[in-house]
Amino acid sequence: MKNLYLPITVDHIARVEGKGGVEIVVGDEGVKEVKLNIIEGPRFFEAITVGKKLDEALAVYPRICSFCSAAHKLTAVEAAEKAIGFTPREEIQALREVLYIGDMIESHALHLYLLVLPDYLGYSNPLKMVNEYKKEIGIALDLKNLGSWMMDELGARAIHQENVVLGGFGKLPDKATLETMKKRLQEALPKAEYTFELFSKLEQYGEVEGPIIHMAVKPRGDVYGIYGDYIKVSDGFEFPVEDYKKHIVEKVVEHSFAKHSFYKGEKPFMVGALPRLVNNAETLYGRARELYESHRDLLRPTNPFANNLAQALELVYFTERAIDLIDEALAKWPIAPRDRVEVKDGFGVSATEAPRGIVTYALEVKDGRVAYADIITPTAYNFAMMEVHVRMMAEKHYNDDPERLKYLTEMVVRAYDPCISCSVHVARL
Amino acid sequence: MEGKVRIGFYALTSCYGCQLQLAMMDEILQLLPHAEIVCWFMLERDSYEDEPVDIAFIEGSVSTEEEVELVKKIRENAKIVVAVGSCAVHGGVQSWEKDKSLEELWKTVYGDGKVKFEPKMAEPVENYIKVDYRIYGCPPEKKDFLYALGTFLVGSWPEDIDYPVCVECRLKGHPCVLIEKGEPCLGPITRAGCDARCPGFGVACIGCRGAIGYDVAWFDSLAKTFKEKGLTKEDILQRMKMFNAHNPKLEEMVEKIFQGVEE
Repeated sequence: MKNLYLPITVDHIARVEGKGGVEIVVGDEGVKEVKLNIIEGPRFFEAITVGKKLDEALAVYPRICSFCSAAHKLTAVEAAEKAIGFTPREEIQALREVLYIGDMIESHALHLYLLVLPDYLGYSNPLKMVNEYKKEIGIALDLKNLGSWMMDELGARAIHQENVVLGGFGKLPDKATLETMKKRLQEALPKAEYTFELFSKLEQYGEVEGPIIHMAVKPRGDVYGIYGDYIKVSDGFEFPVEDYKKHIVEKVVEHSFAKHSFYKGEKPFMVGALPRLVNNAETLYGRARELYESHRDLLRPTNPFANNLAQALELVYFTERAIDLIDEALAKWPIAPRDRVEVKDGFGVSATEAPRGIVTYALEVKDGRVAYADIITPTAYNFAMMEVHVRMMAEKHYNDDPERLKYLTEMVVRAYDPCISCSVHVARL
Repeated sequence: MEGKVRIGFYALTSCYGCQLQLAMMDEILQLLPHAEIVCWFMLERDSYEDEPVDIAFIEGSVSTEEEVELVKKIRENAKIVVAVGSCAVHGGVQSWEKDKSLEELWKTVYGDGKVKFEPKMAEPVENYIKVDYRIYGCPPEKKDFLYALGTFLVGSWPEDIDYPVCVECRLKGHPCVLIEKGEPCLGPITRAGCDARCPGFGVACIGCRGAIGYDVAWFDSLAKTFKEKGLTKEDILQRMKMFNAHNPKLEEMVEKIFQGVEE
């Protein structure tokens, strides 16, 4: 069939992590085709780690994605520990979650201020905002610095944290450092709240309003957080993380090095901050709970742009939560950094909440080596849904100036905060 | 360099960690009055991959046929080309199984699925174009960027580090992970510059800055220590391949380490 118009394409979407593009084909009857082209090369993470020593594979997995390297490290380590039959002590678990929250704070602050906000304020680059938006850039840097410092102290580094090992940590910060961390988190709270106020005033485009299936990990102990043993779907269904393959299928699509995921065989779904809130808001507490109650109309489960505001709400929540977790650890001080682990054969699955949604690791360990690895990243879960929303935006605006259409569709993609390199690990079929 | 320096940051296939490390540096704000960012997709919507620049920073490994063309284009347009990070310098962790065929890896992960782009086995940028300078690490340290940028801006040339992580580790006074714990620490053969970050946390070095390209005295005593701790030649070789798979001297180096040591 002949098209009347040239395809409208963004070859390389800016201000996201990784390389992807949008391609929209318009025909006589409107929008014919919408594709998110994922052009980042494949990296075969599952294939290259099979047969490798477990600790070496665990050092490589975080390299799937820098924005969520702590998420990858901690999820891979949990899957490995489940496989070998080891459960970390509560205080170690609490400190691992503080490290994970460092990633959450840094990632949300970077995404909101440096990747999303420039669109709303009419800048092509966040660095250009420095003079006119001193306060906002200052807050962005403060929150980002706090998150990366937490990862430096607990993970040895803000990107690719080698300090997390089977059985615990290589080394723990001293008590005074944890007390300073608590103080810095307390000082960050008003900045997190300012971020929420700021993002509550931004437009959420009605063009993409519609039903969404939300998926999130059901938090352990019924306290809003990162770890869990069940996946919760917004249609009311719940399943153990081990059963992820029964309910989610992955398909290779021709225009992408990353696969697409579907629930119940064919349904696109969303993961991320908004799905966490939609499914688990009743487990929030503190100031975040109050903000959630007073802004429910803006945190709409039907609009992907609400994901930005949901992240801002999480900045408030996780800042408070980290303080409580540090208190929990301090109550048990002094803490031994690691337990002796015996690497036995076994199979383990872990699903946790990375900044941009569920990340799943399934690892089989045999003779101290990885015998099987399957990894699904949040962005891979999200792609199919993202394409639906880009299409909705395109259908409303395909007659507009192509530059405006590009701008709006890029904003849809950015609202998902996609980690494109992270999606290109690609899971084994 | 006179006037505003035109800078481009280009991404090939990677985790984007090198760019993130750079984006996380508050110091980058001090650079802005002196630099014009021509291309940096991670932060700049108005980015252009085919404009002339003074300095081109390239991160990521060459992993598609499209990226082969891209690096050639960048080289043509740049006065100085800097390979940034383990992927661009050494091919990255995605090169760990570089001796397997692409078809085999593809089949394991994608099955019979086909994609319209042309994938290839990951390679360092240097396999395709001349690289003028390298910033090592996975990710590089912030001071690596400051040192490189600073020296370029004053019209000078950054120097390579020619001593191993062990030197920094001894200076810091950390307990030796290899000798005291018997762990396969690659500190003795890995390029320094990280202040012995991982051994400082009691974790064995995985060699993310790559092997030093020089013979040092450590090699001679290492063989004995590795052997005494029960580490085999094969294990050390595999471990070194994580970040060094494309190093042409790899086997030779491991051979030298284990020279005269009976397995």
